[in-house]
Amino acid sequence: MIWRFGLYESTFEPQWYSHWALLAILVLPIFIGLLGAFFTPRRLFPVALACLPILLAGALLIVDYLQVGLLRWQWDIAGVELSLRFNGLSGLMLMITQWVGTAAAMYTPGHLQLTNPGKHARWLWPLMGVLISALSLIWLAVDLLTLYAALELMGLAAVGMLLLSGKPDALKAGMRYLLLALVGSLAYLLGVALLLGYWGELDLKSLVEVVEPSPVSWVAAALIGAGLALKAALFPLHGWLTPVHENAWTPVSALHAALVIKASLFMLIMLWGILLPDALFAPRLVAWLGMLAIVWGGLIAWRAESLKTLVASSTVGQLGYLMVAFPLLLGSAVSPLPGALAWEGFWLQLMGHSLAKAAMFMAVGNLIIATGESSIKGLAGTSRRLPLSLLIFGIASVTLMGLPPSAGFTAKWLLLQAMVMTQQWVAVAALLIGTLLTAAYVFRVFRYSFDETAPRHQYQPLAPGMDLIALCLALAAFALGLLAHLPLALLQGGGA
Amino acid sequence: MIASIDYVEVGVAFCLVAAALACLFDRHLKRASSLFLLFALLMSLSWWLFDAPGLALAELVLGLTLTGGSFFYALNAFPATAEKVPHYDRSLHRWSHKVVRAVLALAWSVMIGGAIWFLLPDMAYSPTEHPLIIAAVVIVATAMGAFALHRHMLRRLMAFNVLGSGVFLLLAGMAGTMPGSQALISVGLTIAWLGTLLGVLLIRQLVSLEGLLALESDSDATGHAQ
Repeated sequence: MIWRFGLYESTFEPQWYSHWALLAILVLPIFIGLLGAFFTPRRLFPVALACLPILLAGALLIVDYLQVGLLRWQWDIAGVELSLRFNGLSGLMLMITQWVGTAAAMYTPGHLQLTNPGKHARWLWPLMGVLISALSLIWLAVDLLTLYAALELMGLAAVGMLLLSGKPDALKAGMRYLLLALVGSLAYLLGVALLLGYWGELDLKSLVEVVEPSPVSWVAAALIGAGLALKAALFPLHGWLTPVHENAWTPVSALHAALVIKASLFMLIMLWGILLPDALFAPRLVAWLGMLAIVWGGLIAWRAESLKTLVASSTVGQLGYLMVAFPLLLGSAVSPLPGALAWEGFWLQLMGHSLAKAAMFMAVGNLIIATGESSIKGLAGTSRRLPLSLLIFGIASVTLMGLPPSAGFTAKWLLLQAMVMTQQWVAVAALLIGTLLTAAYVFRVFRYSFDETAPRHQYQPLAPGMDLIALCLALAAFALGLLAHLPLALLQGGGA
Repeated sequence: MIASIDYVEVGVAFCLVAAALACLFDRHLKRASSLFLLFALLMSLSWWLFDAPGLALAELVLGLTLTGGSFFYALNAFPATAEKVPHYDRSLHRWSHKVVRAVLALAWSVMIGGAIWFLLPDMAYSPTEHPLIIAAVVIVATAMGAFALHRHMLRRLMAFNVLGSGVFLLLAGMAGTMPGSQALISVGLTIAWLGTLLGVLLIRQLVSLEGLLALESDSDATGHAQ
């Protein structure tokens, strides 16, 4: 865990441009978001142009990491130590965040133009900026205080974005999400209080050296785990997820499913790795819940009536794959090879799901805008009129199903290999059942779309670029499977 | 060890628990909001007892003025037509619902209490040494139960705030008032205010769209999520 999460001293100082790049990735999104509120872009190109410096700054940080290894920053503000680090894993997550964020931002002008949501819509831009900044901070932060602040900032920005649609159902779902997210973070804070009271450390690098198994670390891990699992919508705590996505705007749903829930999961695995280095029971419990999640999420998605419910429930199932890998990631009893395979498979699955789910939400959003219907039955006849949107949906679901050569396939292959090596046959069975269920709900959508008995003549034309952006995301998820060695090399660079 | 009882601290702890309980279980919303103001004032006093004047000031500004003010801002939006009705939470719960919530809250507080017992061994000898910590454990347990029990959005928001204050007190009690824990509590207070503000804006919007009944119809799915 120490190596994997970069919790060690860096060998070299970061180069001069890295400091500016760090400032840029943390501050520029908010600044550009505020600009967006004042100038409300109506086309795609100004948005793309505004996102360019942020993407460049992220790339610069990765270049520096490849040259000098782990980057570390540390500040002492009025006796409080704040520290950030940049390793291969943070670099990968940062890239996914920035690119999915850019795609969602570029999708937004077209979406707003077609749905015509009113005056409040301009506040989407600053909220989106705050969300991206907070996410970037979560990938980099290595002390409990910064993590807490960033997590809260992200949660509040996410709730704010969900509320913009202003429908009563969205408000109710948003209120439930707000309350649960706030209480979840109080559970996290209580866990941090126990750690701070017993070991007196907030910095993860110092904490990892002093922590040892004791009732305090177990209770703290349980509290932190419960709080973060609630925010990450892990299986028995996923009740809020579907209503929230049901009513949110498409780019907001895409960002939320692709990034926001992943941030809590990232923190969960990092903190449990520190607090429960030898635990057997907790990761197994998570894995069993994950198997249930795969089956339950698949079944709900299969029975879903509305398109957005289908996509949101599939998120519950796909998170199950990540939960099943927990016993292989945590615990010292795992032999090195399956441990390493599971580690790579975990992050590849997470990134592949982010890209594919964002693409899928956009494709579904396009279908809903074009047909004006949000139920699956309303898709009848779309195969002839909207082949591109359906194609994007198909490419994205190839990744979710785990067919070769997508990222989903490579990730599940790695996970399966690790599970076979450690003889976890139930998990293998759950993985295979999950694939079948995913195929079942995806083909259900296609069955209705090829139904020609109810031909429709009125279709709302889409704004330029809306399909193209979704297609790029879906293809990126596809390509991530073919070029998996590149991200994995970056990931291993942090473990060398 | 002979227990030395600090009467001021015991008194403040007792008042805190009383104010929290009254605030959590008063169905009259305006009175409950006023009780929340009293609770915040007592919180500020207990920060003073913890030798953290900065936090006392932050509590006065963020907790008392801004968060408490937000509740009254929400109540102002309620239509004043049928006299007392809008300001009263009349939802009834089944017994099974109440018992499950109580058991869940009790289980969590036993776990937290166990960890604190381990963390502060001297509490086993002289429990009166840390009256504020005991008050905090009681507040956290009750607020957790109340949060799970209530269906009215404003009352849940209030329960969250009381729960938050209990957690901050526990944090200060266990970790002391070193700069790190003061920073955590200040961030927590700011977030609690921002969250409350967001919730209150949402409640106002919901009331203007659908009327007051919408605030109570938040039923099934949350029950599963608990």
